Amino acid sequence: MQVVSFVLGALLVFGICGAFFAGTLALLKSEQPEFLDLLLWAIFLVWQFAPVLFEGYSPGLNFREVARYPVSFRTYFLLNAVYGASDPAALACLLWLLSMWVGILIAQPAWALIAVPAFLLFALFNLFCNRIIIGLFDRFQSTRKGRERMVAVMLVVMLLPQLLQLATANWTNFKLLKIPGWVLDVITPIRRMAPPGVVARALLLDGGEKLVPLLLLGFYSLVVWWLLRRQLRAVYEGEIYAEGYTVKRELKVQPGWRLPGVDEVISAIVEKELHYIRQNARMIVQFVYPMILFLFLSFSRAGKNFFFSRSSAGLLASMAGFLLLSLPNLAYNIFGMDGEAFGRWLLSPLPLRKVLLGKNLTHGGILSAFYLIAAAIVISVSQISWLPAVTVTAAFFAVLVIQLGAGNLCSVYWPKRIELTRMNSRMASSAAGLASLLVVLPVGAISGAVGFAAWYWKLPWLPPVASLVGLALAFVLYPYLLNRAVNYSYDHLEEIAASLGA
Amino acid sequence: MSETVLQTVSLRRTFGPLVAVDNLDLKVEKQQFYGFLGPNGAGKSTTIKMLTGLLKPSGGQVYILGLDLAKNSVEIKRRIGVVPEGLALFERLTGAQLLNFVGRMYGLDRAKAAERSAELLEFMDLKDSADKLVADYSHGMKKKTALAAAVIHGPEVLFLDEPFEGVDAIAATTLKRLLQRFIAHGGTVFLTSHVLEVVERLCTHIGIIQNGRMVASGSLEELRTGVKIAGHDGSPLTLEEIFLQVVGGAKQDAEVLSWL
Repeated sequence: MQVVSFVLGALLVFGICGAFFAGTLALLKSEQPEFLDLLLWAIFLVWQFAPVLFEGYSPGLNFREVARYPVSFRTYFLLNAVYGASDPAALACLLWLLSMWVGILIAQPAWALIAVPAFLLFALFNLFCNRIIIGLFDRFQSTRKGRERMVAVMLVVMLLPQLLQLATANWTNFKLLKIPGWVLDVITPIRRMAPPGVVARALLLDGGEKLVPLLLLGFYSLVVWWLLRRQLRAVYEGEIYAEGYTVKRELKVQPGWRLPGVDEVISAIVEKELHYIRQNARMIVQFVYPMILFLFLSFSRAGKNFFFSRSSAGLLASMAGFLLLSLPNLAYNIFGMDGEAFGRWLLSPLPLRKVLLGKNLTHGGILSAFYLIAAAIVISVSQISWLPAVTVTAAFFAVLVIQLGAGNLCSVYWPKRIELTRMNSRMASSAAGLASLLVVLPVGAISGAVGFAAWYWKLPWLPPVASLVGLALAFVLYPYLLNRAVNYSYDHLEEIAASLGA
Repeated sequence: MSETVLQTVSLRRTFGPLVAVDNLDLKVEKQQFYGFLGPNGAGKSTTIKMLTGLLKPSGGQVYILGLDLAKNSVEIKRRIGVVPEGLALFERLTGAQLLNFVGRMYGLDRAKAAERSAELLEFMDLKDSADKLVADYSHGMKKKTALAAAVIHGPEVLFLDEPFEGVDAIAATTLKRLLQRFIAHGGTVFLTSHVLEVVERLCTHIGIIQNGRMVASGSLEELRTGVKIAGHDGSPLTLEEIFLQVVGGAKQDAEVLSWL
């Protein structure tokens, strides 16, 4: 697998080399060298941010540890720089710079000589600048809160392309898009004075004038070198990022919550679960994302065509589906976030049945609240009739209850400790993910069959009746699944505890 | 007349071919401060896990407060407090939220849980960190929180697995103060520890386990009279000397690591 990804990565990098070469050649042949800086901007952005994105998946080399070894500061600085230069993103950027230089050599040989120091200084600037960013990133990552926020930011960054694609689906003609004049007024001087623009000017200007941008580039490199040196010196001399401080405040412990209709203990479990979710940025992103995706989809042109042209019930149903998609993250590994604290449940006099009920009530309650709010909005906007509204709502709650029951079983069959500070830590085991699909697919098939039967035999009452029957069945099935999960967990406590690190 | 609060009869636990605890017979009386000692891998943690319901015994019986653990686990769990090996804290709660929640898990009403949480945080010198997530606590703070969580419901017996491991002197003093207070008010403590000086100072009774079997037990005086060390100067034996004599002692290392 590693070999395959290495080969694919190398092919991508070399493919882009060709693109940079061709781009440079085309710009110079078509006498538009003023746009060369756009290619350099691309290199600059990849060099600065790709290593940060990849470092989100693995901690990389910790230079605070390196500082413990008997190395001089000069060697320490050099090691840091060499490590930065050997980063795959940096190597790729160097290759792309080389491709641009070859393009210049062919299309405009007179510029090739001055391009050498300009590109070298640009590379040095990028290297030092990136090491500063990585240092700041490490500082941010050194606290638990920082690491978790970073995971949430990474998730948003990963999800952003989908949202952008949906958002821009309305823009049918890009040529109609006009950049406002004030934006250009801001961008132009930045473009001119930023390192990529300065490199381009070093190539474009004549004779002795080339020296000014070269000196400016040298100055930029010197500034980032000095900043990096300062940052590394602090780490070398023993700066510990994670050292925190405590704010002294008056101690006041608030009594816990008391929820209507449930006993004290279940109220306490619901409160604890809500605190866990609230204090977890990643969980919030994963909960809220389906809703955001739904909103984008419903307001995009493609979404409008799909949903509004057929029926508003489709909109409501798809929203219910999106919400249910976020459930397996929580419900299919119900003890995952507790980790080793699973042992605390076992030490307490609480029956596991109550623990599972409390957790189900929390997760189901959150999703129900989301659904009811969103359904109220959709119903008021689209004036959907009561029949499809009842159908979808009953079906939503039926699937929700079945998912919670099935999730309990999966949670004890395939428990998995969740590491919230690690990007690649999944929220549920692969087996549990597969099991959630096995629950959703038959439900989808039955819904489809009911919908078809209602349309074919013209039986408009069939879908709501089927949904209500499904809901009743779900409430019958839930206690059975809950009991199975409880019995299984009492028989396999040690394995579950071991899987959760308890 | 003394009251037995903990008794095991031929307690046994195997992991495949490995016998971790082998026919262990224990007896702890009310208000005893019982130190359960043994070298690494002797079976201390396995025993304490069986006594607190975290691990099923492969054989034998456990009686706590006169009740059979196999038949009355819920009732027993209500009356004991535990600081387990890994502490088992809900780390995504703040210290205050955690204690409040644990109190309610044991059936305290909301007001009482909050009141006791505040008192314990104050006593444990954690009040300035009460609003911090437990995940951000230091190891010593976590130990203090775990002990606070173990006593919040007013248990009759405390089981503590290595409560002083990795704890600084100030935190250890706080823990000791709380335990002595607990014993003085009629409680019973069963603890495992590697810190022999602490055990010697705190414990009234000691049991030493090796390879899953009890190799010595009794009060410190009883152990002192029972153990003889050849060539000893006659001064009272320390617990460390007794321990090393009973479990086999340290190897002579004059021959090895000669370069060090």
